[in-house]
Amino acid sequence: MTPHQAMTRRHFVASQSMGLLGLATAWLLDREARANPPKPQLTPLTHDTRPKLPPHRPRATAMISLWMQGGPSQIDLFDPKPELNRLDGQTFPDEIKYDNAAQSSAKIFGSPWKFTKYGDCGMDLSELLPHLAEAVDDICLIRSMHTGVNNHGQSIRALNSGDVLAGQPAIGSWLTYALGSEAEDLPAYMSLIDPGQLPVLGVENWSNGWLPAIYQGTVIRPAEPRIFNLDSPAKYRGQQKNYLEFLKRLNERHASRNPAESELQARIKSFALAEQMQYAAKEAMDLSQESAETKRLYGMERKESADYGARCLIARRLVERGVRFVQVFTQNQFWDHHNGIRKSLPNACLKVDQPSAALVQDLKRRGLLDSTIVHWGGEMGRLPVIQNDTGPTKIGRDHNTYGFSSWVAGGGFRHGHIHGTTDEFGHRAVEDTVHHYDYHATLFHLFGLDTTQIQFSRNNQDRSMINVEKGRVVHELLA
Amino acid sequence: MNCMFCSSRIRLQGSVAGLTGLLCLLLWSSASAVEPDKGATITYEGGVRPVLKTHCFRCHGEAGTVEGGLDLRLRRLIMKGGESGPIIDIENPSDSVLLERVTTGEMPPEEVKHRPTPDEIDILRQWVMNEAPGVTEPDGLDPSEYITTAEKSFWSYQPLLQPEIPITNHPALVRAPIDAFLLHSLEGRGLSFGEEAGRHTLIRRLSFDLWGLPPTPQQVERFVGDSSPLAYERLVDQLLSSPRYGERWGRHWLDVAGYADSEGYTDEDTQRPDAWRYRDYVIQAFNGGKPINQFFVEQLAGDELVSRPYGDLSPQELDALIATGFLRMAPDGTATAANKSVAINDSIAKSLEIISSSMLGMTVACAECHDHRYDPISQKDYYRFRAIFEPAYHWKSWQTPNKRRQSLYTDDDRTQAAEIEEQAKEIEVGRTEKQQEFIQATFEKQLAKLPEEMREVVRLAHDTPDKERTAEQKELLKKNPSVNVTASSLYLYDRKAADELKALADKANEVRKTKPPERFVRVLAESVADNVPVSHLFIRGDHEQPGEQVSAAGFRILGGTLFPDDLELPSTGRRLQFARWLTSDRHPLSARVFVNRVWLHHFGRGLVNTPGDFGQLGEPASHPELLDYLASEFRSSGWNLKRLHRVLVLSTAYRQSSRPSEDGLRADPENHLLWRMPVRRVEAEVLRDSILQISGELLLDAFGPSVPVMADRDGKFVVGIENLNAGRPGAVIPLKGQDFRRSVYVQVRRSRRLTVLDTFDAPRMTPSCIQRSYSASATQSLMLMNGEFPIARAEQLATRVMTEASNELPPQIDFAWQLCYSRQPDPDELSSAINYVQQTEKSYRERHAKSDDRTRRQFAMASLCHALLSSNEFLYIE
Repeated sequence: MTPHQAMTRRHFVASQSMGLLGLATAWLLDREARANPPKPQLTPLTHDTRPKLPPHRPRATAMISLWMQGGPSQIDLFDPKPELNRLDGQTFPDEIKYDNAAQSSAKIFGSPWKFTKYGDCGMDLSELLPHLAEAVDDICLIRSMHTGVNNHGQSIRALNSGDVLAGQPAIGSWLTYALGSEAEDLPAYMSLIDPGQLPVLGVENWSNGWLPAIYQGTVIRPAEPRIFNLDSPAKYRGQQKNYLEFLKRLNERHASRNPAESELQARIKSFALAEQMQYAAKEAMDLSQESAETKRLYGMERKESADYGARCLIARRLVERGVRFVQVFTQNQFWDHHNGIRKSLPNACLKVDQPSAALVQDLKRRGLLDSTIVHWGGEMGRLPVIQNDTGPTKIGRDHNTYGFSSWVAGGGFRHGHIHGTTDEFGHRAVEDTVHHYDYHATLFHLFGLDTTQIQFSRNNQDRSMINVEKGRVVHELLA
Repeated sequence: MNCMFCSSRIRLQGSVAGLTGLLCLLLWSSASAVEPDKGATITYEGGVRPVLKTHCFRCHGEAGTVEGGLDLRLRRLIMKGGESGPIIDIENPSDSVLLERVTTGEMPPEEVKHRPTPDEIDILRQWVMNEAPGVTEPDGLDPSEYITTAEKSFWSYQPLLQPEIPITNHPALVRAPIDAFLLHSLEGRGLSFGEEAGRHTLIRRLSFDLWGLPPTPQQVERFVGDSSPLAYERLVDQLLSSPRYGERWGRHWLDVAGYADSEGYTDEDTQRPDAWRYRDYVIQAFNGGKPINQFFVEQLAGDELVSRPYGDLSPQELDALIATGFLRMAPDGTATAANKSVAINDSIAKSLEIISSSMLGMTVACAECHDHRYDPISQKDYYRFRAIFEPAYHWKSWQTPNKRRQSLYTDDDRTQAAEIEEQAKEIEVGRTEKQQEFIQATFEKQLAKLPEEMREVVRLAHDTPDKERTAEQKELLKKNPSVNVTASSLYLYDRKAADELKALADKANEVRKTKPPERFVRVLAESVADNVPVSHLFIRGDHEQPGEQVSAAGFRILGGTLFPDDLELPSTGRRLQFARWLTSDRHPLSARVFVNRVWLHHFGRGLVNTPGDFGQLGEPASHPELLDYLASEFRSSGWNLKRLHRVLVLSTAYRQSSRPSEDGLRADPENHLLWRMPVRRVEAEVLRDSILQISGELLLDAFGPSVPVMADRDGKFVVGIENLNAGRPGAVIPLKGQDFRRSVYVQVRRSRRLTVLDTFDAPRMTPSCIQRSYSASATQSLMLMNGEFPIARAEQLATRVMTEASNELPPQIDFAWQLCYSRQPDPDELSSAINYVQQTEKSYRERHAKSDDRTRRQFAMASLCHALLSSNEFLYIE
């Protein structure tokens, strides 16, 4: 039977709740059902984004993912390999899988950038990341990330939704499904997209997959209107108050002719709540409330980092207001430096280095870092050999998903710590490898959750975020 | 498997229903239906067995499991006791082991989540204390097939007889027999019908009800001004004879049939390119007044009505074949899922669920794994039912979705197509040769880039077939990857060559396009009878554990009719016999269930409020005699649906106003007795279609392939042709007006639900929708306030109003009111609206000093129309 059959028709208002229209379950209810004998239930099950308590004490309650689509070069940013510089120009002694055979070469390419140890922890970082260098004691660098699928789309899926196959819910959808949101009048899961093109996979990046649609990421556009449906089209913006007032009058007249219909009142209220949500969203994105010092911290006064800085600052404001999951995207293939890496990699760093470091520092000084996970990374890294060997300004690096770097901070992660190692060429993770599913298991753990317990029933199967391998909570990463 | 008792199957297949727990909560909802009358003596059959069946049979009797040697399924077996002796002590009943085990909570064992309630335990106690009475059980009774008298006498299994029409105190209010039934109940509570609604309300109600669209101002004017006593009847007939009627009522059936244009089940959610023909069949069946019994028979066994082999098909034959699309609507992962046999058996189970919930009003899904806990449907019953369909759903020689398409090619078409294919192949041969040349040339260029001394060795390695290469040669090629030019990597080296090859491939495709278009229908066609599978019960629902053999038959509670193979037919004829029995006068459920659905859509609530479950867990009928009256009338009218509509909408009950009365609110606040018409929110599709009609943009083209749905840049699903580049939306491909067709023609892709419809509770087909739900959420309000769709339509409506009404503001407002609300504004409303428009014009001028009058009016009028389209009077039908 479908759940419809045992339902009474009932109407309800909730900030973002929807009637259960399909097969669905929430593990929390299931858990309650185990603890208490089942009670008669005649009301429809609903999915909502009201806050829910995880089964274990959480270390983290929110997350901001700075998503570096394209694959930043770990060898030039995070993972110094003197061996490469020593063998620069020589033939790579081992097997390599190329994505682009036509431009491939086996010629070793030592990093053109200097590495220095920073912070009390002495973390080596490239000269391209001077701002992050000031925050190294607050971050945990993972040098042994691994997905093993050498293709942007599939590797994005692996990291962002747990599986290389299309159609899965994104991690933000899982977290909001499991935990709801503390912000009643804001969407629970927000995606801040770049003014440039959407990243590879487009809207799939924040898809709810087969979870109910309220767990889809809400897009915050880089320009007005920042959120569709949360703001009037520009032309009507000055008109909305009058429109709502007039609408209310129409509705109240109508309701007075139908006094027994409580649903009519509910809908009048839902317009009021909708209006409130608009103000809340606008307020959250209004950076005029921030001090000049803060804006400077985020690099908003510098052309290159102004946009990314503004979006990182919005991300902090959203988390401050109780939003569960925020992802800040770079544009399409921003880090995909197949050629011309000598110029494009420094440019990419100019855009994101200062805002990313500022986010960590700002969260910390506001006391939010302890409960907020910051993630910085893309779906892959790059190869230790030259791609497109047609001149020093033209060379680049091809894809590498066997060993690359990401960093995480806050929310229960260790700080001032480096985890994992790659081989002497920075090609493959060789020690303490963190597979995408281990990373997910660890995130869930910090949120007080277990990936295997957060399930959604679909076609007679309980699906969880990790379906194929069993993710390991990487305790070595935890504070 | 939608049931709490299936943990064993879960373990077996890993196909867990985590939903289990929740559905069980739902299932549990009205278990009190099994409670015996207070004061009556509790017997084994009359109170105890249902409790034991729910909580104990699984370990004590069912499917060969007899723990402790104790079988509880018959009274005499209980009296016998188990290995450790008797469990009922007639001399000292309070010492009975049965009571002790249950009251201490020792039984059921503590790991069983679902506990007996105190009331249920009390039933057991009273029974034991009263010497455990029960009827005499016949010798040789098979305990697994035992149906008690109490079960047999459940209302919905009783033969359908036409009840007497009751006498009422106010015969003047009785326009039709249904009024007498309703009024009789109302009078019993001191109530009566409300007054008749005004004509504006009536035409609006009828139009939304029968068309799913608002009436036009002309229709309203004509009806309101029609002084003939038959004006209302004429209006009803006019509405029922329009093609809009089938689009509206067809949609109701598509809900319960689980209509979808995609397979679902796996994440690919493959499209079903030919499913729309079934949608068109349904719409045409409703429009053409196809008798519902024939409608049922065609959907269940249309393929058995058409003679084999399927040659040039007549329209009727084609119709019958297309109708079997019904049996192919369930989510179907059989082409894409990793575990094929699980997917196949799931698809069969879901199909049976659709059939039983839509036509029988029964939930039988849980009997897939064990005897139904509440209704007298044994697991064997389920597999006998499944056996009716197994020759068609032959799970061991299963047809995947693309193999079950029936081509509509004629012989001529086929010859012509073969000739054209020849030409296309010729072009492709030329292309392959060219490709080889390009690859070779590119290889030479790459080779030339290597140091001279290496070239010959590399060439040799390259030319050696892979299997024969030495380790050194392999290594050499690995070290010089750029010489590995292949068909798929050629474009990376030589764009021009790749483009030239693509042009040739395109040319071959162009030639192919000149073939006569091949049309297909998606059918279920049982293969001829030499491949009939032997049907088995599956132990705990696991297809890998076949149990005893079963024959095709109906449920025993409904008579258990056998459906032996029909030797006159090329197929087994089981489904045809089942369909004919289902639509025969002997079937107690089919007509009741269908009529109840029709009632539900007219009155907002079924006479049985659980339209998919007429069993123990369903709600009892609010007016059982009325239901029986309608069902038997319907049947004797030749299952004539349009007649049934007339009976319902011509009644006094239907014509009532929605205004509440104090008496009514006090005596029956939920309006179960129908002392007024309920106020109902329109469905998602009705909302979208109505807005389009009012704005003047609705395109009434009927039938054909579905209008596609795509994701926009935000991930919202909108009408449009998908045009992706690495997952990102590319240029918009114009739909040439198809965007604004009625929602029933918009693609139903399970994973891409049109956002406008989804927001307003359009059904999810999992596998079907038995009853829609209606929410009122802030998300909906946000969409109405700010969404692109309503605002663009409001702007269009403003233009329409300003073009079609005179230049003056009052007639323009008057026209907008009529379009949106089917009535004129009263003087207060008019002046308030005039005021709103003028204020809006003024403030617009303040912001845009240089604007002209027309722009200001357009803006202000659009804002007014926007308010009307988002208002409750528009969203709710009285």
